[in-house]
Amino acid sequence: MATTAAPLPGGQRPNIPSAAVHFPAIRDYEQVDREIAGTLGPSLGWFAALGVAILCMLIGALTWTYQIHEGLGAAGYQPPVMWAVYIVTFVFWVGIGHAGTLISAILYLFRAGFRTSIYRVSEAMTVFAVMTAGLFPILHLGRPWKFFYLIPYPNWRLIWPNPKSPLVWDVFAILTYLTISATFLYVGLIPDLAILRDREKNPVRRQILAQMSLGWRNSDREWRHFTRAYLFLAAFATPLVLSVHSVVSFDFAMALAPGWHATVFPPYFVAGAIFSGIGMVFTIVIPLRKVFHLEHYITLNDLDAAAKLCLFTSTVVGLAYVTEFQIAWVSGNRFEQDYFWNRVFGQWAWAAWIMLICNCVIPLSLWSQKLRRNTKWLFFLSLTTNLGMWFERFVIVEPSLSHEFEPWQWGGYRPTWVDYCILLGSFGWFFMWFLLFIKQLPVMAMSEIKETILPRMRHPHVDESQELEQGGYANQMMNDPPLLGGSH
Amino acid sequence: MQGIIGAFPEIDCAVHAIEALKKERLGDLTVYTPTPRHEIEEVIDRGPSRVRLFTLIFGLLGASFGYWIPIWISDYWPIIVGGKAVITWVPFTILCFEVMVLIGGLATVFAMFGLAHIPRLTMTVGYDPRFSSGHFGIWVVTDPERTDDVINLMKKYGASEVRRER
Repeated sequence: MATTAAPLPGGQRPNIPSAAVHFPAIRDYEQVDREIAGTLGPSLGWFAALGVAILCMLIGALTWTYQIHEGLGAAGYQPPVMWAVYIVTFVFWVGIGHAGTLISAILYLFRAGFRTSIYRVSEAMTVFAVMTAGLFPILHLGRPWKFFYLIPYPNWRLIWPNPKSPLVWDVFAILTYLTISATFLYVGLIPDLAILRDREKNPVRRQILAQMSLGWRNSDREWRHFTRAYLFLAAFATPLVLSVHSVVSFDFAMALAPGWHATVFPPYFVAGAIFSGIGMVFTIVIPLRKVFHLEHYITLNDLDAAAKLCLFTSTVVGLAYVTEFQIAWVSGNRFEQDYFWNRVFGQWAWAAWIMLICNCVIPLSLWSQKLRRNTKWLFFLSLTTNLGMWFERFVIVEPSLSHEFEPWQWGGYRPTWVDYCILLGSFGWFFMWFLLFIKQLPVMAMSEIKETILPRMRHPHVDESQELEQGGYANQMMNDPPLLGGSH
Repeated sequence: MQGIIGAFPEIDCAVHAIEALKKERLGDLTVYTPTPRHEIEEVIDRGPSRVRLFTLIFGLLGASFGYWIPIWISDYWPIIVGGKAVITWVPFTILCFEVMVLIGGLATVFAMFGLAHIPRLTMTVGYDPRFSSGHFGIWVVTDPERTDDVINLMKKYGASEVRRER
């Protein structure tokens, strides 16, 4: 499934095309199983991290019960701003969920090899991010127990939801995205669950893994249908990635508020979602490769390629910001012009400039290959990207609602401690699931990594250049010391 | 079911053994590989998967259903807004697309399960845990009188272990 290419010799910093992937320090299939399965099983540090995540989640949950008791005013809602941090955070988490499917599906169709080592983590991130996002429309409701009104099911008095409403499109889009992403994650896991089952000594765990792997046996029949099904799922997931955040953008673009009613919103939202998702991938993957000692799987070449994607989407987002201003300027629409002036030089300047610096200025550093291959810088950049993208949604939502057409409609908004606690709780919820995932299931697709390695051969009949083109560095490496230092 | 199972540490040995077994017509073959390999696919030559048919058919059904839901809702409970059409294709296409992906995607996975014969309840015959790790395996279902031929052939082509199973 993955495309392979040979590494450059001599410790140079190669200009790696996105399709180039190689694992020079991996000798054989058994090493893949041993090292990736070795990351499973709890440790003290993991328990500590899980404890912190659960604590944060509980803070959020308790705050929510307080909000239900007190009403939405506790969360700082006041006219005219009745969409606040919860909608901002909903869009933020849906955006985070985009990079996973981009990496696992779109880059799979494009045969971008650098996805091989990071796509499992990204897919899991997608599922958990969309699960987190799905909570926020419910948190945003004054009476959350009536959320089912949005589901296409006749509620009381046989009233159906309005299928022309963007909020109903959202429900369809998010549920489809969650279902397909979770299915894609699970289907990709089946062969790896079979590997874990076959390695497992504990009969109870073995039985559970046997059930979860559906009795997968790696037969030619299974692989033949599996590879086709995986390809078609990727083909379905690809337009889905583009559609979901487009639909989320319609929540705003279909409204007539200044700053929202713009046709640029769908591509603007999609690019922003991918940008923020790649940022979160870096936030997760960089500590993970260090803690799990997976530097020879998630190589600097992979991070370099992902950083280029981050840079590209940052420039698209920057272009969208400029386009918004340009449209307001040439439109001659007084309300649009006032709104954008207020956004950047008025009431919301502090948030807008955090957004612009984090999303457009700091990512420019990625033009430097040295910084693209510096994990500390990438981690710092991932944090600023997450911050900047949260503020992007804040800047989209709040200034429009607080500065509509008539001056008597103008107002302000200030988040309260309830907003902050629920935001914290959402991170706790997300990382709780993620931490549970990384210690129960393999963080990398073992069977797919094996595809990039030349299998053992009794009579190798290919010449060295051909073998290297096929990604098979294994035979050569059998006689050389591991190139752990050379590849990353 | 009675058959012979052979484990091959090297892929080229497994490929040559499959070629020879097919040539001698010694029985029905199932090949196990830790990961999909084009060499094995080529030598087995099973033809294209029929998963694509299910994807197409259920994708189209999903698209139709995705249009039907909002059309039915709009017809059942019309929301009449000053001269605008009750049934409008543009917004309904969004729902059509989402339902097409949902039903087409799920049908693809269930078709894969059906065609690959999973979930499998028993794994007692014709499998070895090494086949998910680093070894290539060949399982041959054959007549009792031809088992020796199969065993000899597998050993000749480099099987590290060959055993009868029933």
